[in-house]
Amino acid sequence: MILFDRVTKVYPNQMVALSGLNLHIQPKEFVTIVGASGAGKSTLIKLLTREEVHTSGKIIVGGLDYDTITSRDVPLVRRRIGVVFQDFKLLQGRRVGENVAFALEVSGARNREIKRSVPKMLQLVGLASKEQAFPSELSGGERQRVAIARALIRQPKILIADEPTGNLDPKNAWEIIELLLKINRFGTTVLLTTHNKEIVNALKRRVITINRGRIIKDEEQGRYTLEGGK
Amino acid sequence: MLQLWRVLHAGTRNFMRNAWLSTAATAVMTITLTIVVISFISNSALTSTIKGVTDKIDVSIYLNDNVTSAQLTQFQQALQNDSNVKSVSYRSKDQALAIYKAENKNNETVLQGLQFAGNPLPASFQIQAKNPKNLQSIVAIANQPPYQSMLDPTAPPSYSGQNKDTINRIVRVADFFKSGGLIASIVFVIISTLIIFNTIRMAIFTRREEIEIMKLVGATKWFIRGPFIFEAALYGIIAAFIALAFSYSLLLGGGPKLSSYIDVQSTIMFFRSYPALVILGELVIGICIGAFSSMMAMSRYLKL
Repeated sequence: MILFDRVTKVYPNQMVALSGLNLHIQPKEFVTIVGASGAGKSTLIKLLTREEVHTSGKIIVGGLDYDTITSRDVPLVRRRIGVVFQDFKLLQGRRVGENVAFALEVSGARNREIKRSVPKMLQLVGLASKEQAFPSELSGGERQRVAIARALIRQPKILIADEPTGNLDPKNAWEIIELLLKINRFGTTVLLTTHNKEIVNALKRRVITINRGRIIKDEEQGRYTLEGGK
Repeated sequence: MLQLWRVLHAGTRNFMRNAWLSTAATAVMTITLTIVVISFISNSALTSTIKGVTDKIDVSIYLNDNVTSAQLTQFQQALQNDSNVKSVSYRSKDQALAIYKAENKNNETVLQGLQFAGNPLPASFQIQAKNPKNLQSIVAIANQPPYQSMLDPTAPPSYSGQNKDTINRIVRVADFFKSGGLIASIVFVIISTLIIFNTIRMAIFTRREEIEIMKLVGATKWFIRGPFIFEAALYGIIAAFIALAFSYSLLLGGGPKLSSYIDVQSTIMFFRSYPALVILGELVIGICIGAFSSMMAMSRYLKL
Protein backbone atom coordinates (compact mmCIF):
# COMPACT_ATOMS: atom_id res chain seq x y z
CA MET A 1 0.00 0.00 0.00
CA ILE A 2 2.78 2.44 0.99
CA LEU A 3 6.36 1.94 -0.10
CA PHE A 4 9.27 4.24 0.71
CA ASP A 5 12.49 3.08 -0.89
CA ARG A 6 15.64 4.91 0.30
CA VAL A 7 13.72 8.19 0.48
CA THR A 8 15.70 11.31 1.31
CA LYS A 9 14.30 14.76 1.84
CA VAL A 10 16.61 17.74 2.08
CA TYR A 11 14.95 21.14 2.57
CA PRO A 12 16.27 24.19 0.73
CA ASN A 13 18.08 25.31 3.91
CA GLN A 14 20.10 22.06 3.67
CA MET A 15 18.26 20.55 6.62
CA VAL A 16 18.08 16.78 6.11
CA ALA A 17 14.63 15.67 7.32
CA LEU A 18 14.66 12.10 6.01
CA SER A 19 17.75 10.18 5.15
CA GLY A 20 17.50 7.01 3.04
CA LEU A 21 14.25 5.94 4.74
CA ASN A 22 12.86 2.50 3.88
CA LEU A 23 9.28 1.73 4.82
CA HIS A 24 6.73 -0.79 3.66
CA ILE A 25 3.13 -0.73 4.91
CA GLN A 26 0.70 -3.43 3.82
CA PRO A 27 -2.95 -2.78 3.01
CA LYS A 28 -5.30 -2.75 6.04
CA GLU A 29 -2.40 -2.33 8.48
CA PHE A 30 -2.64 -0.07 11.53
CA VAL A 31 0.74 1.54 11.98
CA THR A 32 1.82 4.01 14.64
CA ILE A 33 4.77 6.24 13.96
CA VAL A 34 6.55 7.73 16.94
CA GLY A 35 9.49 10.04 17.15
CA ALA A 36 10.66 13.16 18.94
CA SER A 37 9.88 16.57 17.48
CA GLY A 38 11.99 17.12 14.38
CA ALA A 39 12.57 13.38 13.89
CA GLY A 40 10.92 13.48 10.44
CA LYS A 41 7.32 12.38 11.12
CA SER A 42 5.75 15.52 9.67
CA THR A 43 7.99 15.36 6.61
CA LEU A 44 6.95 11.75 6.08
CA ILE A 45 3.28 12.80 6.09
CA LYS A 46 3.91 15.81 3.87
CA LEU A 47 5.61 13.55 1.33
CA LEU A 48 2.61 11.22 1.38
CA THR A 49 0.16 14.09 0.79
CA ARG A 50 2.55 15.66 -1.71
CA GLU A 51 2.83 18.92 0.21
CA GLU A 52 6.56 18.32 -0.15
CA VAL A 53 8.48 16.52 -2.88
CA HIS A 54 11.19 14.01 -1.97
CA THR A 55 14.76 14.78 -2.96
CA SER A 56 15.71 11.20 -3.91
CA GLY A 57 14.48 7.63 -3.61
CA LYS A 58 11.12 6.21 -4.57
CA ILE A 59 7.64 6.61 -3.11
CA ILE A 60 4.80 4.36 -4.30
CA VAL A 61 1.35 4.73 -2.75
CA GLY A 62 -1.55 2.51 -3.83
CA GLY A 63 0.37 1.57 -6.97
CA LEU A 64 1.05 5.20 -7.88
CA ASP A 65 4.69 6.13 -8.38
CA TYR A 66 5.15 9.67 -7.00
CA ASP A 67 7.95 10.32 -9.52
CA THR A 68 5.40 10.24 -12.32
CA ILE A 69 2.81 12.66 -10.92
CA THR A 70 2.53 16.23 -12.15
CA SER A 71 1.18 19.24 -10.27
CA ARG A 72 -2.17 18.64 -11.97
CA ASP A 73 -2.37 15.19 -10.38
CA VAL A 74 -1.72 16.42 -6.83
CA PRO A 75 -5.42 17.07 -5.98
CA LEU A 76 -6.23 13.55 -7.20
CA VAL A 77 -3.49 12.11 -4.98
CA ARG A 78 -4.93 13.98 -1.98
CA ARG A 79 -8.41 12.69 -2.66
CA ARG A 80 -7.08 9.13 -2.31
CA ILE A 81 -5.67 9.83 1.14
CA GLY A 82 -7.69 11.05 4.13
CA VAL A 83 -5.84 13.21 6.64
CA VAL A 84 -6.78 14.44 10.12
CA PHE A 85 -4.77 16.86 12.19
CA GLN A 86 -4.31 17.82 15.81
CA ASP A 87 -6.02 21.18 15.23
CA PHE A 88 -8.95 19.60 13.30
CA LYS A 89 -8.85 22.20 10.47
CA LEU A 90 -12.61 22.65 10.23
CA LEU A 91 -14.38 25.55 8.52
CA GLN A 92 -15.76 27.49 11.47
CA GLY A 93 -18.43 29.25 9.46
CA ARG A 94 -19.96 26.02 8.18
CA ARG A 95 -22.12 23.45 9.88
CA VAL A 96 -20.91 19.95 10.64
CA GLY A 97 -22.73 18.47 7.66
CA GLU A 98 -21.36 21.18 5.36
CA ASN A 99 -17.82 20.58 6.59
CA VAL A 100 -18.08 16.92 5.69
CA ALA A 101 -19.83 17.68 2.40
CA PHE A 102 -17.06 20.10 1.48
CA ALA A 103 -14.64 17.26 0.71
CA LEU A 104 -17.16 15.84 -1.73
CA GLU A 105 -18.00 19.21 -3.28
CA VAL A 106 -14.42 19.94 -4.30
CA SER A 107 -14.16 16.59 -6.03
CA GLY A 108 -17.26 17.27 -8.11
CA ALA A 109 -19.71 14.91 -6.41
CA ARG A 110 -23.39 15.41 -7.22
CA ASN A 111 -25.67 16.99 -4.64
CA ARG A 112 -27.77 13.84 -4.46
CA GLU A 113 -24.70 11.78 -3.62
CA ILE A 114 -23.63 14.32 -1.00
CA LYS A 115 -27.05 14.27 0.65
CA ARG A 116 -26.96 10.50 0.77
CA SER A 117 -23.42 9.92 2.06
CA VAL A 118 -22.94 12.72 4.61
CA PRO A 119 -25.54 11.48 7.17
CA LYS A 120 -24.20 7.93 6.81
CA MET A 121 -20.68 9.06 7.54
CA LEU A 122 -21.79 11.17 10.50
CA GLN A 123 -23.56 8.13 11.85
CA LEU A 124 -20.37 6.07 11.51
CA VAL A 125 -18.40 8.58 13.61
CA GLY A 126 -21.26 8.93 16.11
CA LEU A 127 -22.37 12.46 15.23
CA ALA A 128 -25.68 11.78 13.50
CA SER A 129 -27.48 14.29 15.72
CA LYS A 130 -24.95 17.09 15.21
CA GLU A 131 -25.27 17.62 11.46
CA GLN A 132 -26.67 21.13 11.87
CA ALA A 133 -24.27 22.23 14.64
CA PHE A 134 -21.35 24.60 14.10
CA PRO A 135 -17.84 23.40 15.07
CA SER A 136 -17.72 25.96 17.91
CA GLU A 137 -20.67 24.20 19.55
CA LEU A 138 -18.82 20.87 19.70
CA SER A 139 -16.31 19.38 22.14
CA GLY A 140 -12.74 18.69 21.02
CA GLY A 141 -13.47 15.00 20.56
CA GLU A 142 -16.54 15.75 18.49
CA ARG A 143 -14.60 18.16 16.30
CA GLN A 144 -12.01 15.50 15.63
CA ARG A 145 -14.81 13.11 14.67
CA VAL A 146 -16.04 15.67 12.14
CA ALA A 147 -12.52 15.87 10.73
CA ILE A 148 -12.38 12.07 10.52
CA ALA A 149 -15.78 11.98 8.81
CA ARG A 150 -14.54 14.53 6.28
CA ALA A 151 -11.35 12.54 5.70
CA LEU A 152 -13.31 9.32 5.15
CA ILE A 153 -16.23 10.61 3.10
CA ARG A 154 -14.46 9.88 -0.17
CA GLN A 155 -13.65 6.37 1.03
CA PRO A 156 -9.87 6.64 0.82
CA LYS A 157 -7.78 3.51 1.13
CA ILE A 158 -5.40 5.28 3.52
CA LEU A 159 -6.17 7.45 6.55
CA ILE A 160 -3.36 9.51 8.04
CA ALA A 161 -4.00 10.72 11.59
CA ASP A 162 -1.35 13.27 12.55
CA GLU A 163 -1.43 13.65 16.35
CA PRO A 164 -5.22 13.37 16.35
CA THR A 165 -5.43 13.16 20.13
CA GLY A 166 -2.94 15.93 20.91
CA ASN A 167 -5.64 18.41 21.94
CA LEU A 168 -7.98 15.95 23.66
CA ASP A 169 -8.46 14.72 27.21
CA PRO A 170 -7.76 10.99 27.82
CA LYS A 171 -11.41 9.95 27.51
CA ASN A 172 -11.93 11.74 24.19
CA ALA A 173 -8.51 10.59 23.01
CA TRP A 174 -9.47 6.96 23.56
CA GLU A 175 -12.75 7.42 21.77
CA ILE A 176 -10.90 8.75 18.76
CA ILE A 177 -8.43 5.84 18.83
CA GLU A 178 -11.33 3.39 19.04
CA LEU A 179 -12.92 5.09 16.05
CA LEU A 180 -9.66 4.72 14.12
CA LEU A 181 -9.50 1.04 15.02
CA LYS A 182 -13.09 0.61 13.83
CA ILE A 183 -12.23 2.32 10.54
CA ASN A 184 -9.21 0.04 10.22
CA ARG A 185 -11.42 -3.03 10.77
CA PHE A 186 -13.52 -1.86 7.81
CA GLY A 187 -10.41 -2.16 5.65
CA THR A 188 -8.76 1.27 5.66
CA THR A 189 -5.00 1.44 6.19
CA VAL A 190 -4.38 3.74 9.17
CA LEU A 191 -1.18 5.64 9.78
CA LEU A 192 -1.11 7.25 13.21
CA THR A 193 1.49 9.58 14.64
CA THR A 194 1.34 10.30 18.34
CA HIS A 195 3.32 11.22 21.42
CA ASN A 196 0.87 9.44 23.68
CA LYS A 197 2.80 6.62 25.37
CA GLU A 198 -0.27 4.98 26.92
CA ILE A 199 -2.10 4.80 23.63
CA VAL A 200 0.89 3.33 21.78
CA ASN A 201 1.46 0.71 24.43
CA ALA A 202 -2.22 -0.21 24.71
CA LEU A 203 -2.70 -0.56 20.95
CA LYS A 204 -0.27 -3.48 20.59
CA ARG A 205 0.03 -2.78 16.89
CA ARG A 206 3.01 -2.16 14.63
CA VAL A 207 5.11 0.75 15.89
CA ILE A 208 7.78 2.47 13.82
CA THR A 209 10.19 4.72 15.69
CA ILE A 210 11.92 7.44 13.72
CA ASN A 211 14.96 9.39 14.82
CA ARG A 212 16.88 11.95 12.78
CA GLY A 213 15.19 10.98 9.56
CA ARG A 214 15.81 7.24 9.89
CA ILE A 215 13.81 4.30 11.20
CA ILE A 216 15.53 3.08 14.32
CA LYS A 217 12.93 0.53 15.37
CA ASP A 218 10.10 -1.29 13.60
CA GLU A 219 8.17 -3.79 15.76
CA GLU A 220 5.01 -5.75 15.01
CA GLN A 221 3.61 -5.27 18.51
CA GLY A 222 5.68 -2.30 19.48
CA ARG A 223 5.91 -0.14 22.54
CA TYR A 224 6.66 3.52 23.09
CA THR A 225 10.33 3.63 23.95
CA LEU A 226 11.16 7.32 23.58
CA GLU A 227 11.95 9.60 26.48
CA GLY A 228 9.28 12.08 27.51
CA GLY A 229 6.18 10.36 26.20
CA LYS A 230 2.90 11.34 27.86
CA MET B 1 -20.82 22.46 -14.98
CA LEU B 2 -21.59 21.55 -11.39
CA GLN B 3 -18.06 22.57 -10.40
CA LEU B 4 -18.44 25.89 -12.24
CA TRP B 5 -21.69 26.52 -10.41
CA ARG B 6 -19.97 25.79 -7.08
CA VAL B 7 -17.12 28.17 -7.93
CA LEU B 8 -19.59 30.95 -8.85
CA HIS B 9 -21.58 30.25 -5.70
CA ALA B 10 -18.45 30.44 -3.52
CA GLY B 11 -17.37 33.66 -5.27
CA THR B 12 -20.76 35.28 -4.62
CA ARG B 13 -20.73 34.15 -1.00
CA ASN B 14 -17.25 35.63 -0.49
CA PHE B 15 -18.45 38.86 -2.08
CA MET B 16 -21.34 39.07 0.37
CA ARG B 17 -19.22 38.10 3.36
CA ASN B 18 -16.71 40.89 2.73
CA ALA B 19 -19.47 43.43 2.29
CA TRP B 20 -17.40 46.51 3.15
CA LEU B 21 -14.38 45.61 1.11
CA SER B 22 -16.59 44.57 -1.79
CA THR B 23 -18.49 47.86 -1.63
CA ALA B 24 -15.27 49.87 -1.65
CA ALA B 25 -13.83 47.90 -4.57
CA THR B 26 -17.10 48.18 -6.50
CA ALA B 27 -17.27 51.93 -5.84
CA VAL B 28 -13.78 52.52 -7.21
CA MET B 29 -14.55 50.33 -10.18
CA THR B 30 -17.79 52.30 -10.74
CA ILE B 31 -15.87 55.59 -10.77
CA THR B 32 -13.36 54.13 -13.22
CA LEU B 33 -15.99 52.76 -15.56
CA THR B 34 -18.00 56.00 -15.37
CA ILE B 35 -14.90 57.93 -16.39
CA VAL B 36 -14.33 55.47 -19.22
CA VAL B 37 -17.92 55.89 -20.48
CA ILE B 38 -17.92 59.68 -20.10
CA SER B 39 -14.59 59.83 -21.87
CA PHE B 40 -16.08 57.71 -24.66
CA ILE B 41 -19.20 59.90 -24.81
CA SER B 42 -17.26 63.16 -24.90
CA ASN B 43 -14.83 61.73 -27.42
CA SER B 44 -17.64 60.68 -29.70
CA ALA B 45 -19.61 63.92 -29.20
CA LEU B 46 -16.55 66.09 -29.79
CA THR B 47 -15.54 64.08 -32.85
CA SER B 48 -18.93 64.47 -34.45
CA THR B 49 -19.06 68.17 -33.51
CA ILE B 50 -15.63 68.81 -35.01
CA LYS B 51 -16.55 66.84 -38.09
CA GLY B 52 -19.65 68.98 -38.51
CA VAL B 53 -17.59 72.15 -38.23
CA THR B 54 -14.59 71.11 -40.28
CA ASP B 55 -16.65 69.79 -43.14
CA LYS B 56 -17.50 73.40 -43.73
CA ILE B 57 -13.91 74.49 -44.04
CA ASP B 58 -12.60 74.72 -47.56
CA VAL B 59 -9.80 76.45 -49.37
CA SER B 60 -10.49 78.78 -52.25
CA ILE B 61 -7.75 79.30 -54.80
CA TYR B 62 -8.52 82.25 -57.06
CA LEU B 63 -7.39 82.19 -60.68
CA ASN B 64 -6.59 85.01 -63.06
CA ASP B 65 -8.67 85.44 -66.19
CA ASN B 66 -5.98 84.24 -68.59
CA VAL B 67 -5.88 80.60 -67.53
CA THR B 68 -6.63 78.18 -70.38
CA SER B 69 -8.80 75.15 -69.98
CA ALA B 70 -5.77 72.83 -70.45
CA GLN B 71 -3.98 74.62 -67.62
CA LEU B 72 -7.12 74.36 -65.50
CA THR B 73 -7.26 70.59 -65.94
CA GLN B 74 -3.57 70.25 -65.09
CA PHE B 75 -3.91 72.42 -61.98
CA GLN B 76 -7.04 70.60 -60.81
CA GLN B 77 -5.28 67.26 -61.31
CA ALA B 78 -2.29 68.38 -59.28
CA LEU B 79 -4.58 69.45 -56.44
CA GLN B 80 -6.52 66.22 -56.53
CA ASN B 81 -3.31 64.22 -56.31
CA ASP B 82 -2.56 65.71 -52.91
CA SER B 83 -3.25 63.17 -50.21
CA ASN B 84 -5.00 65.69 -47.99
CA VAL B 85 -7.52 66.75 -50.63
CA LYS B 86 -10.99 65.28 -50.35
CA SER B 87 -12.58 67.07 -53.32
CA VAL B 88 -11.84 69.86 -55.78
CA SER B 89 -14.56 71.72 -57.62
CA TYR B 90 -14.14 74.44 -60.20
CA ARG B 91 -16.20 77.62 -59.89
CA SER B 92 -16.22 79.73 -63.05
CA LYS B 93 -16.41 83.53 -63.12
CA ASP B 94 -20.10 83.33 -64.05
CA GLN B 95 -20.92 80.93 -61.21
CA ALA B 96 -19.03 83.14 -58.78
CA LEU B 97 -21.04 86.13 -59.94
CA ALA B 98 -24.30 84.23 -59.66
CA ILE B 99 -23.47 83.18 -56.08
CA TYR B 100 -22.40 86.69 -55.18
CA LYS B 101 -25.63 88.11 -56.59
CA ALA B 102 -27.69 85.58 -54.73
CA GLU B 103 -25.89 86.41 -51.48
CA ASN B 104 -26.54 90.12 -52.04
CA LYS B 105 -29.96 89.97 -53.62
CA ASN B 106 -31.36 92.45 -51.11
CA ASN B 107 -28.52 94.89 -51.51
CA GLU B 108 -29.52 97.19 -54.40
CA THR B 109 -26.32 99.21 -54.28
CA VAL B 110 -24.12 96.19 -54.76
CA LEU B 111 -26.28 94.86 -57.59
CA GLN B 112 -26.26 98.16 -59.36
CA GLY B 113 -22.52 98.49 -58.93
CA LEU B 114 -22.03 95.09 -60.50
CA GLN B 115 -23.90 96.20 -63.60
CA PHE B 116 -21.35 98.93 -64.16
CA ALA B 117 -18.26 96.93 -63.21
CA GLY B 118 -19.06 93.91 -65.37
CA ASN B 119 -17.80 90.72 -63.63
CA PRO B 120 -14.90 91.53 -61.32
CA LEU B 121 -14.99 88.14 -59.59
CA PRO B 122 -12.25 85.62 -60.37
CA ALA B 123 -12.81 81.97 -61.24
CA SER B 124 -11.66 79.64 -58.42
CA PHE B 125 -11.07 76.13 -57.18
CA GLN B 126 -13.08 75.17 -54.07
CA ILE B 127 -11.11 72.54 -52.23
CA GLN B 128 -12.27 70.40 -49.28
CA ALA B 129 -9.51 68.98 -47.14
CA LYS B 130 -9.50 65.63 -45.42
CA ASN B 131 -7.65 67.05 -42.44
CA PRO B 132 -8.62 70.65 -41.94
CA LYS B 133 -5.76 71.10 -39.50
CA ASN B 134 -3.28 70.88 -42.33
CA LEU B 135 -4.35 73.17 -45.13
CA GLN B 136 -0.86 74.49 -45.76
CA SER B 137 0.08 71.61 -48.06
CA ILE B 138 -2.78 72.52 -50.38
CA VAL B 139 -1.79 76.15 -50.50
CA ALA B 140 1.81 75.09 -51.11
CA ILE B 141 0.81 73.31 -54.32
CA ALA B 142 -0.79 76.49 -55.63
CA ASN B 143 2.37 78.40 -54.87
CA GLN B 144 4.56 76.11 -56.96
CA PRO B 145 6.02 77.64 -60.16
CA PRO B 146 3.76 76.16 -62.90
CA TYR B 147 0.61 77.08 -61.00
CA GLN B 148 1.68 80.30 -59.32
CA SER B 149 1.33 82.18 -62.60
CA MET B 150 -2.32 81.09 -62.86
CA LEU B 151 -3.27 82.67 -59.55
CA ASP B 152 -5.13 85.93 -59.27
CA PRO B 153 -2.44 88.34 -58.01
CA THR B 154 -5.00 90.42 -56.17
CA ALA B 155 -6.57 87.54 -54.23
CA PRO B 156 -4.32 85.09 -52.35
CA PRO B 157 -5.72 81.63 -51.47
CA SER B 158 -8.21 81.95 -48.64
CA TYR B 159 -10.03 79.77 -46.21
CA SER B 160 -13.77 79.87 -46.31
CA GLY B 161 -15.33 81.95 -43.70
CA GLN B 162 -13.20 84.04 -41.45
CA ASN B 163 -13.64 81.35 -38.81
CA LYS B 164 -10.54 79.33 -39.47
CA ASP B 165 -8.76 80.55 -36.36
CA THR B 166 -11.82 79.93 -34.24
CA ILE B 167 -12.27 76.49 -35.76
CA ASN B 168 -8.62 75.72 -35.13
CA ARG B 169 -9.06 76.74 -31.54
CA ILE B 170 -12.11 74.48 -31.20
CA VAL B 171 -10.13 71.60 -32.69
CA ARG B 172 -7.29 72.21 -30.22
CA VAL B 173 -9.65 72.37 -27.23
CA ALA B 174 -11.42 69.21 -28.38
CA ASP B 175 -8.10 67.42 -28.78
CA PHE B 176 -7.16 68.49 -25.27
CA PHE B 177 -10.38 67.06 -23.84
CA LYS B 178 -10.02 63.86 -25.83
CA SER B 179 -6.49 63.17 -24.60
CA GLY B 180 -7.48 64.34 -21.11
CA GLY B 181 -10.28 61.77 -21.08
CA LEU B 182 -7.94 59.04 -22.24
CA ILE B 183 -5.35 59.88 -19.59
CA ALA B 184 -8.00 60.03 -16.83
CA SER B 185 -9.34 56.65 -17.97
CA ILE B 186 -5.89 55.07 -17.87
CA VAL B 187 -5.10 56.58 -14.46
CA PHE B 188 -8.36 55.30 -12.96
CA VAL B 189 -7.96 51.86 -14.52
CA ILE B 190 -4.57 51.66 -12.78
CA ILE B 191 -6.04 52.90 -9.46
CA SER B 192 -8.87 50.38 -9.50
CA THR B 193 -6.48 47.59 -10.49
CA LEU B 194 -4.37 48.40 -7.42
CA ILE B 195 -7.38 48.60 -5.11
CA ILE B 196 -8.83 45.31 -6.31
CA PHE B 197 -5.38 43.76 -6.06
CA ASN B 198 -5.34 44.74 -2.39
CA THR B 199 -8.92 43.66 -1.77
CA ILE B 200 -8.20 40.20 -3.14
CA ARG B 201 -4.92 40.08 -1.21
CA MET B 202 -6.85 40.71 2.00
CA ALA B 203 -9.47 38.15 1.00
CA ILE B 204 -6.72 35.57 0.45
CA PHE B 205 -5.27 36.45 3.85
CA THR B 206 -8.58 36.18 5.71
CA ARG B 207 -9.44 32.93 3.99
CA ARG B 208 -6.03 31.27 4.27
CA GLU B 209 -7.41 28.61 6.62
CA GLU B 210 -10.18 27.76 4.18
CA ILE B 211 -7.66 27.63 1.33
CA GLU B 212 -5.48 25.26 3.34
CA ILE B 213 -8.46 22.98 3.97
CA MET B 214 -9.42 23.09 0.31
CA LYS B 215 -5.91 21.96 -0.62
CA LEU B 216 -6.04 19.29 2.05
CA VAL B 217 -9.24 17.74 0.73
CA GLY B 218 -7.95 17.73 -2.83
CA ALA B 219 -9.46 20.81 -4.46
CA THR B 220 -7.95 21.63 -7.83
CA LYS B 221 -6.09 24.90 -8.30
CA TRP B 222 -8.93 26.38 -10.32
CA PHE B 223 -11.50 25.35 -7.75
CA ILE B 224 -9.52 27.39 -5.20
CA ARG B 225 -8.70 30.33 -7.49
CA GLY B 226 -12.03 30.48 -9.29
CA PRO B 227 -14.04 32.12 -6.48
CA PHE B 228 -11.44 34.90 -6.12
CA ILE B 229 -11.53 35.62 -9.85
CA PHE B 230 -15.32 35.58 -9.90
CA GLU B 231 -15.51 37.80 -6.82
CA ALA B 232 -13.32 40.41 -8.54
CA ALA B 233 -15.22 40.05 -11.80
CA LEU B 234 -18.40 40.66 -9.83
CA TYR B 235 -17.07 44.09 -8.79
CA GLY B 236 -16.67 44.82 -12.50
CA ILE B 237 -20.11 43.51 -13.47
CA ILE B 238 -21.98 45.50 -10.82
CA ALA B 239 -19.88 48.60 -11.45
CA ALA B 240 -20.49 48.36 -15.21
CA PHE B 241 -24.27 48.54 -14.78
CA ILE B 242 -24.13 51.38 -12.25
CA ALA B 243 -21.66 53.34 -14.40
CA LEU B 244 -23.78 52.89 -17.54
CA ALA B 245 -27.02 53.87 -15.82
CA PHE B 246 -25.34 56.94 -14.33
CA SER B 247 -23.63 58.04 -17.54
CA TYR B 248 -26.67 57.46 -19.70
CA SER B 249 -28.94 59.47 -17.43
CA LEU B 250 -26.29 62.19 -17.35
CA LEU B 251 -26.23 62.15 -21.15
CA LEU B 252 -30.03 62.31 -21.41
CA GLY B 253 -30.33 64.97 -18.71
CA GLY B 254 -27.43 67.13 -19.83
CA GLY B 255 -27.80 66.50 -23.57
CA PRO B 256 -30.40 69.21 -24.33
CA LYS B 257 -28.37 71.82 -22.44
CA LEU B 258 -25.19 70.87 -24.26
CA SER B 259 -26.71 70.47 -27.69
CA SER B 260 -26.18 74.12 -28.63
CA TYR B 261 -22.44 73.68 -28.00
CA ILE B 262 -21.66 70.12 -29.01
CA ASP B 263 -23.36 67.41 -30.97
CA VAL B 264 -24.52 64.85 -28.36
CA GLN B 265 -27.42 63.60 -30.43
CA SER B 266 -25.29 61.20 -32.46
CA THR B 267 -23.86 59.72 -29.22
CA ILE B 268 -27.37 59.25 -27.79
CA MET B 269 -28.33 57.61 -31.08
CA PHE B 270 -25.32 55.30 -30.80
CA PHE B 271 -26.37 54.27 -27.27
CA ARG B 272 -29.91 53.63 -28.48
CA SER B 273 -28.91 51.75 -31.62
CA TYR B 274 -26.33 49.47 -30.04
CA PRO B 275 -27.31 48.99 -26.38
CA ALA B 276 -25.97 45.42 -26.34
CA LEU B 277 -22.62 46.53 -27.72
CA VAL B 278 -22.32 49.33 -25.15
CA ILE B 279 -23.26 47.07 -22.23
CA LEU B 280 -21.03 44.27 -23.45
CA GLY B 281 -18.09 46.62 -23.96
CA GLU B 282 -18.46 48.03 -20.46
CA LEU B 283 -18.85 44.55 -18.94
CA VAL B 284 -15.75 43.29 -20.73
CA ILE B 285 -13.69 46.22 -19.45
CA GLY B 286 -14.99 45.74 -15.87
CA ILE B 287 -14.52 41.97 -15.85
CA CYS B 288 -11.05 42.24 -17.37
CA ILE B 289 -9.88 44.79 -14.78
CA GLY B 290 -11.28 42.63 -11.95
CA ALA B 291 -9.99 39.31 -13.21
CA PHE B 292 -6.57 40.69 -14.10
CA SER B 293 -6.05 42.33 -10.67
CA SER B 294 -7.27 39.24 -8.89
CA MET B 295 -4.97 36.95 -10.86
CA MET B 296 -2.06 39.28 -10.16
CA ALA B 297 -2.82 39.15 -6.40
CA MET B 298 -3.09 35.36 -6.49
CA SER B 299 0.15 34.89 -8.37
CA ARG B 300 1.88 36.76 -5.54
CA TYR B 301 -0.02 35.68 -2.44
CA LEU B 302 -1.75 32.39 -3.19
CA LYS B 303 0.81 29.64 -3.45
CA LEU B 304 -0.81 26.34 -4.29
